[in-house]
Amino acid sequence: MSAGSDAADEGYSARFGHVELPEDEAGALRRAKRLEVVTLAFMGSAIAVVYLTMGSSQAMKTAWIEDMLALVPPLAFLVAVRRARKRPTPDHPYGYHRSTAIGHLTAAVALLVVGLSLTVDSALGLLRAEHPPIGTTELLGHTVWSGWLMIAAMTYTGIGPFVLGRLKLPLAEQLHDKVLYADADMQKADWMTAAGTIVGVLGIGIGLWWADAAAALLISLSIVRDGWKNLRSSSDALMDQRARTFDDGRPHPVTIEVDEVLRGLPWVADSRSRVRDQGHVFHIEAFVRPRAGEVADLERLEEAVAMLRELDWKIHDVVLMPVRDLPETIPDPRP
Amino acid sequence: MRSARASYAVVSVLAAFMLAGCGLSVPTDPDGTLDRVRSDGVLRVGASPSPGWVDVTGERPSGREPELVERFAGDLGVEVEWTVGGEEHLVRLLEDGAIDLAVGGVTDENPWVDKVGLTRHYVEVSAAGATEEGATEKHVMMVPMGENAFQSELERWLDENGPDS
Repeated sequence: MSAGSDAADEGYSARFGHVELPEDEAGALRRAKRLEVVTLAFMGSAIAVVYLTMGSSQAMKTAWIEDMLALVPPLAFLVAVRRARKRPTPDHPYGYHRSTAIGHLTAAVALLVVGLSLTVDSALGLLRAEHPPIGTTELLGHTVWSGWLMIAAMTYTGIGPFVLGRLKLPLAEQLHDKVLYADADMQKADWMTAAGTIVGVLGIGIGLWWADAAAALLISLSIVRDGWKNLRSSSDALMDQRARTFDDGRPHPVTIEVDEVLRGLPWVADSRSRVRDQGHVFHIEAFVRPRAGEVADLERLEEAVAMLRELDWKIHDVVLMPVRDLPETIPDPRP
Repeated sequence: MRSARASYAVVSVLAAFMLAGCGLSVPTDPDGTLDRVRSDGVLRVGASPSPGWVDVTGERPSGREPELVERFAGDLGVEVEWTVGGEEHLVRLLEDGAIDLAVGGVTDENPWVDKVGLTRHYVEVSAAGATEEGATEKHVMMVPMGENAFQSELERWLDENGPDS
């Protein structure tokens, strides 16, 4: 038997497909959307500021392209949550939840590209022993060293991502939104790059020509790592990997709890389940073997499905199937 | 772990600051061009002929740009040692650190931008032989790449004493 949650109240806007969000999560979604709009506006202003101060500096040009790529994850998030709201249609019987996985993949590729471009750029600069020229700028009738202006611009472009990224992480966990998580990684990449540039420009200021490239290289390695991690987890999720936590740190506890709950029922001898992450919500297929002499009737199955639903708001589609023997094709999820 | 790496980077650069320590000024030349010019009392300048800007027919280069360079050297209290050559030759001398400055009617749209440092433009004139009405060219001088104290000193001097000041 099968069931989906049907609280189909059209007036409600905070939902993923036909999953109504609990009040806290609905609030978190609203905050996340607002944060992403703020991010887009802020990054737009950062792009303008860097454009005005970059001059002929290759390093600043790279920073500028990175700032543009930083627009990708917020856009991916806004598009993905918009798509994910749609209810299932005859052509999309599972709903549109997977738009999240596509958004996650898109954001991961953007992050990886930023990391790789920064790595190549800074490594080449070091290899060629490029001595970055930073001259002066005429500002309100005074001649000032352009390094100070670059530091000011980088302080501005760094503060936004530092604050916004920190605000997004808890929301990513609460909403189980991996696009938002990848976006928080992108913001970390942004503020670390800005901090690295500040250190690098100061280093150049005291005559260490390699300071900027060396700082950028160190930071780019950590960005590449984050990008690679997100690319792997987003493609794994698209290949129906078992559901994992929002940061892909470990298997989601629900994947174990489902069998625990089912085995706890007096009429169930054993159970085996698959839990996949549709994007925000989980899709569960569970097989139960009734005890000898017990009957898996509709009441018992419906009660079991209701108990599974109680586990987490993310549990969306539950297919529960009584079987004579547990399917051997499904590996035991227990560690 | 990741932020540990970032703080490692910050700490190591801060350590470098302290090592460089005592009496540091910002910006500083990685190869010490400005300090060397001052202590040797010689500014080594390359000149490439350019009608209206640099004339190399005389004993010493003359024209608008050599005169500016002589005045700059005078204010630094140093002598100018001239080398005459084509633009590409001068660029190579700058790259090798054999000269400290090069002039030759160069504009900010010259092709050497990734080999030598260019000063901010010190004068903007209507373009020679321009077909477009109001087209201008911005004249710059060439300095060794990344010798930021020397470049900043020259730019500051041009701001105060150049034809546009």
